[in-house]
Amino acid sequence: MTTIAELRTPHAPTWCPGCDDFLLLAGLQQALAASAIPTEKTVIVYDIGCAGNMADFVHTYAVHSLHGRSIAVAMGIKLFRPDLTVIVIGGDGGIYGEGLNHLVAAARANSDIKVFVSNNYLYSLTTGQTSPTTPKGAKTKSTPLGVTNEPLVASRFIPAINDQVWVQKVSAKNIAELNGEIKEALNHQGFALLDVDENCVSFGKQLR
Amino acid sequence: MEKVFTIKLAGPAGLGIKSGGQLLSQILIAHGFSVHDYNEYPSLVRGGHNTYQVTFTTGELFAPHHTVDLFFSITPGHWQQHLKEFTPNTLIAADEKVAAAPTTGHLESVPLKDMSIEVGTVIVTNTICVGLAAFLFHLDPEICHAQITQQFGKNAEMNIKAFDAGWVYAQKHLSAYLQSVNPPKGVANRKLVDGNEAYGWGFIQGGGNFYSAYPMTPATGALHFLAAKQQEYKLHVVHAEDEIGVASIASGAAFAGARAAVGTSGGGFALMNETISYCGVTEIGMVFYLVSRPGPATGLPTYTSQGDLLYAINSGHGEFPKIVLAPSSQLESFEFSALSLDLAAAYQLPVLVVSDKFLAESAVSLEDLSQKKVTPLSVEVVKEGDGHFKRYALTPTGVSPVALPGTKGAEFIANSYEHDEYGYSAEDSETTVAQLEKRHRKLDSAKPNLPKAVLHGSPKATKLIVCWGSVAGPVLEALRLLPAGHPYAALVVRTVWPIDPEIEALTKNYPEIITVENNQTAQLTTVLRSQINFHPTRVITKFDGRPFYPEELIKEFT
Repeated sequence: MTTIAELRTPHAPTWCPGCDDFLLLAGLQQALAASAIPTEKTVIVYDIGCAGNMADFVHTYAVHSLHGRSIAVAMGIKLFRPDLTVIVIGGDGGIYGEGLNHLVAAARANSDIKVFVSNNYLYSLTTGQTSPTTPKGAKTKSTPLGVTNEPLVASRFIPAINDQVWVQKVSAKNIAELNGEIKEALNHQGFALLDVDENCVSFGKQLR
Repeated sequence: MEKVFTIKLAGPAGLGIKSGGQLLSQILIAHGFSVHDYNEYPSLVRGGHNTYQVTFTTGELFAPHHTVDLFFSITPGHWQQHLKEFTPNTLIAADEKVAAAPTTGHLESVPLKDMSIEVGTVIVTNTICVGLAAFLFHLDPEICHAQITQQFGKNAEMNIKAFDAGWVYAQKHLSAYLQSVNPPKGVANRKLVDGNEAYGWGFIQGGGNFYSAYPMTPATGALHFLAAKQQEYKLHVVHAEDEIGVASIASGAAFAGARAAVGTSGGGFALMNETISYCGVTEIGMVFYLVSRPGPATGLPTYTSQGDLLYAINSGHGEFPKIVLAPSSQLESFEFSALSLDLAAAYQLPVLVVSDKFLAESAVSLEDLSQKKVTPLSVEVVKEGDGHFKRYALTPTGVSPVALPGTKGAEFIANSYEHDEYGYSAEDSETTVAQLEKRHRKLDSAKPNLPKAVLHGSPKATKLIVCWGSVAGPVLEALRLLPAGHPYAALVVRTVWPIDPEIEALTKNYPEIITVENNQTAQLTTVLRSQINFHPTRVITKFDGRPFYPEELIKEFT
């Protein structure tokens, strides 16, 4: 059994106070501690972005990959080492934007990886530009005239690719539900994606 | 010196130009000949103008020749663009009534199509040509039949009929063109293998176990080869969604302990560039097999080029160590494939193996690579950690200890950000400099294991030819054919990055230095000039998508 303390690193989170990523981090550490998976058998692949910065705060085997590539790296790990539990942490930009082709490939393959998307509808580490999930019409730094594209909705398009995969949406604010869904995603056999609805405390004002 | 012969088949795609040529080569190898093949084909599936040539001799051979002794135009109109390859003795067997004969050579109308229909189908036209050639070159029909049986399986009977039809026709109508050659005695145990297959065997014998690729000519042969072998040799072979996925997936497998490689050509390699940089900083060792074709962009997809050397050396953003190897023969494609996996594992960096269409898709007679064992470098991995594992420990060699997931207490982050010894992200100047310097030291540590440049020729030579990669074949063949006492030697550079400073000493005493490259801007020449005192007196380049032929180099050298 792993304790939450053992899953911590010497580094304290660097997110903005009040960031919903704290809730995802806490939920993940609790779920890993409660699970029977030993830390040395856990590999977390982090995307680039605010959520990906979780890499320094969780003590497991990890890859802090490139923007958009976390799912592809995770698939390679799982293909070569099916004995490992492989988790992906990324944001809406990396998973649904830069890395969309890899998400589609992973869903088609029903790759046994667990993807957690910290979806705050913005590119926040780069200070607030539109992402693939930004609502139509929203004015952001890169779209001051308003977003003209339809947003991508993971829970709609992923099951259309492969109805065998597990996809859920949950609000980070509902902590009990979030923690329950994290555990469910980890226990699922096959591809699982949990879309965690978050609010960006620094740049989310643009969306309201 | 033993005479060298060349037989060329030409015709539209879809009529077995390549398989006919390969059959002929296999038959010649079974007789004990040395063989060097070369094929040209446009980027389409049916029609067009395809050629497959087989150059062979009883002795040593380094490259295909330009001059053709026996030419087959399988359907009408496929000989006219080859006039420069004909000599007064060339026999051109063409299935057409020709109004204007070629100015050089003898054209004979041979009813190939009618004969094939008599046998049963037009797709055996190629085998009829092989039968014709076999008669004219005094080959042993029993050996030929055995090879046909081996290659064609259930279609062997019809192809033996076709072979015999060609043989009998040549006996009846073409015996004036009987060649003077004695097939060597004793059957050598050699195989016909191209550079891609040789690379694939090197991957297998070198302990490779994860290969991913996206189809791209001329690297696709390696994917096909390894995909077909995946069950027998327990390989993971993955055709991923795009070249970014290909490289990323392989990097994940390599992190998890695989000996991993990816294969592509220039365009796909461009997509993989971010992964090369990422492997540099995360110190994930993996191999990039780059088989060049002429660019820019889609370029000439099915032709050859050495135009990606500088791109390979400079691939990936930022500054990090990488090794770039350039095999100069099909055998070295095998050797460097195995070696690159070792270097990637031992020094934890990206290793590039740069080939090209000429090397990768040209087949030669080689020892049986399925039986050729290599001894891998031993690479140590950590067996247990104390919970504070320094994956990026600052060491004198620059090489830090490696742990694989599953090892208790050695958890770490393979971090694409600059990082400290544990892998945690760091931005301070001391850590940044220390890690950059540590990584750079790995190049010095790797040096004793990098293939040295090889000098061919007499110590009395006064003129030095410097070349790399596939150009070595035609250069060595030209030197072999030059009259005794010629003043040339050749230096083949095999590690194209980092440049071995000893190349300066190897080259400086020659009054004349000639570089020969299959690209427009003499890219190795540029690299050597930037790294050592190197002053070529002449630069020969060729960049029309075709390889150098020994005959054209001899003209340049005399």
